[in-house]
Amino acid sequence: MRRYVLKRVVQTILTAWFTVTVVFVLLRLAPGDPAVSYAPPNPSSEQLEAIRREFGLDQPLLSQYWTFLTHLLHGDVGQSFQFRQSALTVVLERLPYTITLAVAAIVITAVLAIPLGVWMARRANTAGELGANIATIAGQSMPDFWIGFVLLIVFAVNLQWFPSSGFTSISSLVLPTLTIVVLQVALISRLVRREMSVNLNASYVTIARSRGVSERRLTWRYAFSNSAIPVVTALGTRFAAMLNGVVIVEVVFRWPGVGQLVVDALERRDLPVIQATVLVTVLLALFVQLAVDLIYPLLDPRVRLGEGAR
Amino acid sequence: MALDQTAPPTAVTPRLLRRSAAARRARHSTIKIWLGAICASIIIIPVALARVLPLPDPVRGVLRDSSLPPLSDGHLLGTDPNGRDLLSRILFGGQTSLVIGLLAIVISGLVGIVLGAVAGYYGGWVDTLVSRALEAQMSLPLLLMLLLVVALFGPSIAVITLVIAVAQWPEPARLTRALVLVEREKPYVAAAQVLGLRRPTVIGRHIIPNILPQVLVVVFLLLAQAVLLESALSFLGAGVQRPYPTWGGIISDGRELFVTGKWWLVTIPGIAIALLVIGVNLLGDGLRDRTRRAKAGDS
Amino acid sequence: MTHNIPMGGTSGAEVVAEGGVSRRSILQLAAFLGAGTLLGPTLVACAGPQSTSGGSASGGTGGKLSITLNRNLVSLDNKLNQYDAAVTVQRAVRQALTRIGLDLKPELVLAKSFKQTSPTVWTVALRDDIHYSDKSPVTVADVETAIKLYFQVKAGYVASQFPEQPTFTKVDDKSFTLTTTKPVVTLNSLMSNILITPAAANKAEELRDGLGSGPFTVAAADSGTGTYRLVRNENYWGEKALLDEVNVSYQEEEGARVIALTSGQTDVIDTITPESAASLKSNKDIEVLQTKGTRLIHLFYNFRKPAGHPLSKATVREALSHAIDHDALIKSLMAGQVTSAEGVVPSTLEGFAQTGTYTFDVAKAKSMLAAEGVSGLKLRAIWEDSEFAGAARVMEAIVGMLADVGVALELKQIPKGGDINAWRRGEAGDWDILANGYGNQTGLAITNLQGQYGGTAAKEKTRDTYHGFVHPEVTSLLDAASQNPDVAARNAQLKDAQEKIWALWPAMWAWTPNNLLARRKRVTTLDLSPGNFYDLSTVKVSG
Repeated sequence: MRRYVLKRVVQTILTAWFTVTVVFVLLRLAPGDPAVSYAPPNPSSEQLEAIRREFGLDQPLLSQYWTFLTHLLHGDVGQSFQFRQSALTVVLERLPYTITLAVAAIVITAVLAIPLGVWMARRANTAGELGANIATIAGQSMPDFWIGFVLLIVFAVNLQWFPSSGFTSISSLVLPTLTIVVLQVALISRLVRREMSVNLNASYVTIARSRGVSERRLTWRYAFSNSAIPVVTALGTRFAAMLNGVVIVEVVFRWPGVGQLVVDALERRDLPVIQATVLVTVLLALFVQLAVDLIYPLLDPRVRLGEGAR
Repeated sequence: MALDQTAPPTAVTPRLLRRSAAARRARHSTIKIWLGAICASIIIIPVALARVLPLPDPVRGVLRDSSLPPLSDGHLLGTDPNGRDLLSRILFGGQTSLVIGLLAIVISGLVGIVLGAVAGYYGGWVDTLVSRALEAQMSLPLLLMLLLVVALFGPSIAVITLVIAVAQWPEPARLTRALVLVEREKPYVAAAQVLGLRRPTVIGRHIIPNILPQVLVVVFLLLAQAVLLESALSFLGAGVQRPYPTWGGIISDGRELFVTGKWWLVTIPGIAIALLVIGVNLLGDGLRDRTRRAKAGDS
Repeated sequence: MTHNIPMGGTSGAEVVAEGGVSRRSILQLAAFLGAGTLLGPTLVACAGPQSTSGGSASGGTGGKLSITLNRNLVSLDNKLNQYDAAVTVQRAVRQALTRIGLDLKPELVLAKSFKQTSPTVWTVALRDDIHYSDKSPVTVADVETAIKLYFQVKAGYVASQFPEQPTFTKVDDKSFTLTTTKPVVTLNSLMSNILITPAAANKAEELRDGLGSGPFTVAAADSGTGTYRLVRNENYWGEKALLDEVNVSYQEEEGARVIALTSGQTDVIDTITPESAASLKSNKDIEVLQTKGTRLIHLFYNFRKPAGHPLSKATVREALSHAIDHDALIKSLMAGQVTSAEGVVPSTLEGFAQTGTYTFDVAKAKSMLAAEGVSGLKLRAIWEDSEFAGAARVMEAIVGMLADVGVALELKQIPKGGDINAWRRGEAGDWDILANGYGNQTGLAITNLQGQYGGTAAKEKTRDTYHGFVHPEVTSLLDAASQNPDVAARNAQLKDAQEKIWALWPAMWAWTPNNLLARRKRVTTLDLSPGNFYDLSTVKVSG
């Protein structure tokens, strides 16, 4: 177990290093001069040169990379060009907003998608299930920014029930969460349905049913506990992906999270902030994945059988 | 299927058969396929015929007819601020969006199938390499990377197509690998090897044709993702160069005007995207149900 | 509030007294304005009764205001960052010796007098009553440090506006001189950009917190999310602000800002697009303010074309300008909120001279092109995404207009954060027309003229001219004007220069957009300057 965790941690660090390196190289190769974003309008060549020197952008790529790596080992990702403070601090200030949104979205997704998926599996091949099936396909087919716009116009502009943008109160959370949930519920409920119908048709359920186990118990106690692993994996993966920035939703609702931050930083070529965001979110996402893996033994029915025999 | 040939003198009446789970499932997948085909063709057919239809120029407008609402004279879906016909822009833009989507899935499908099959069949270091690449890509912040690459190479149809293809190759690759892992243990593969066929021949001539229907459905479903991804990229400003319209580009241009009451510039292209994607997804889902059942029937 | 009552009482009494003094002293100085927030309202017709009562010992009518900017206000300092709307907020907290008034002329703020005592020397006296929000006095050492640090900060925005760094010499505790090697006739305008902070707290970087002498103090600041909460400075040396509290946030997306305003989440949004203005005008809760702006947007020709290229001929450049149907563009794409240029700088600027107008005449364009033997001309236009409102739409419309005179225009939109600068310097690729905005922070035509048309061969070597525009006779006229202390003679030289520039047809078309600001009707008083900023301390809200 410890060996496994250790191996995974090493893998995580390697993946993070790989990602950050790829981003580093892409950022340096991309056209566009960060100095221009921070120079006065109509800058002179000397002004640009001075800014490049200040940001260390006048060094050759390899030496920039070496500086970046050595500083990284000391936990220093560099100074944000636009905020003139530690890029890591900037990212960590925004992270709680993204985490809040991701947690809200994943909790609501789980609460809605699991019963819906179970219901669809139990009512397999009925007209109701076909309707739900088509509805979930529609849910996963609409562009998320478009859903966001429609919600924005209906609930923020016309009805004025919720704030339109930014984070002012807890009600700011509603529309962005809803936008994410539409897609995620569609995806997760379909997965739950698939897993549940496999398990509900499995022989152990048939046998249990013949022994008079109630349908309710069959559904949740038997079939669902066996579907839990893939469902939790999917929820975990989705959650991890959201930590990487729910970019579009954050942009539409001007949510002050890391997704928004990174899009702004990209437009202003704030390289340290982009690198810090990538580093932090990739690490976080990888650790969430790791945590999900570690939950498996807890969900494994065989572990439960052991408990039952006690 | 074999249902029609069931002889009448059994207790299982056609009525009962029609109500059986299997028959209903078949019916449902037929409904989905038809519904999907209808949704998709509402969009695809006019888009394909855009050049033949009597439409105003999608790039050049008449400034006098600026921002006309839908159902205006001569402009069924209205016009944009430049006085360009929205229907014409959606249909011509759809050509670009669809070409990008189709090219992207052809590339990602080919790459995915080849790499997945090779990884699954040979195993060993090839498999390790492909699997690691798949995992690494899973952990990357995808949209950000795509934006970076578009910034790097400039937004053109070729770049955006490749970027989407790169984003999508893991799915067919993973499925192909999983299916090949199962197939290669089957007797016909052993037989082919005993007969002395070279391994690429075994993969290409024997294994891939067997798994192709299932993989192709997944690749087809990727078309829906590709169209969504193209519009998301355009939305974030990494779209095809002006003045050529794409769906995402039309929405992106219209979004600042959305709140000023010009709702049609965002809503209508959004509906077009949604209809096409729903159509493709329903069609793919229905087909997947079919191929699964066919497979289940075989074994 | 309770703890403020004694303080508020005393400082309120001071304000009444100072009000009288400052008004008298300003009459004596024959200056236009002064005393920070105090005199803003007296100039404006719609000023409320508070400006005449002079009392407002309680600090005005109170209330909260929420404003949403279009860019992140990274700090309440302007050493590195300055854009129009930021001026509004930054100056509510920190003040300068002077400021640019509603008529774009310099007004006194912390300075009692600011006079050019010889061609290269300006003598400045500080007011006697000024102090920071903690009641510590504003000293000449604070000014010296501020000037030094603004020039020390690397690639500072403000420093780049000065032709040279003025030398500071202390005269006594309340006065000093600023000396330059060449005459800088606009130093009183330029100094409005240098904000004064206690010397000990000032650094050669953007200040995130710290003291100011302005009518508001900072209660909370988050530069990352760009949100700030300002509260009234109860110790303010001048007439206290009317508002209790100002909340500042930002939102780049125009649509979202409009939604925030219409849904009542915010009270004021500035720098809005003509489309939003047009639609907001129909909203009964919202009022749209417009003033003629100081920003010039032009479709500038590339002056680095080789001699044989058609665009190197002024007649060809003129011919193309006749192909632009600007009335249609203004009406359909700019909601009537721009003015076609009548010279080479915005007409709002001091020193502007009318030199001609752009006319739309397809037949003339065609015949002029034919006369020059130009046919099948292929041009490429570049611009940065969102450089001005509706940029992409305007450029797409121009493609059609040029096609009507037989010119094919290729569009290349450079994404934000892309390499527009490399393109402009001609390093990223060739182009013919650049759509570009040119802002003005001084209210003076000469700033624009020198920035765009003062190119020299030496500057062109490092590609530091404005797109290759090098005409020595124009440059020498501008240099002479910039050092001419006589206003009338200076303006005559500038007029001469502007006429020479116009005859060269540097732009296919140019226009000045109106500054557009929308406020909810609960905001009853707000005076928008042509410089696109306003004085927060005189803003009044009801309800």
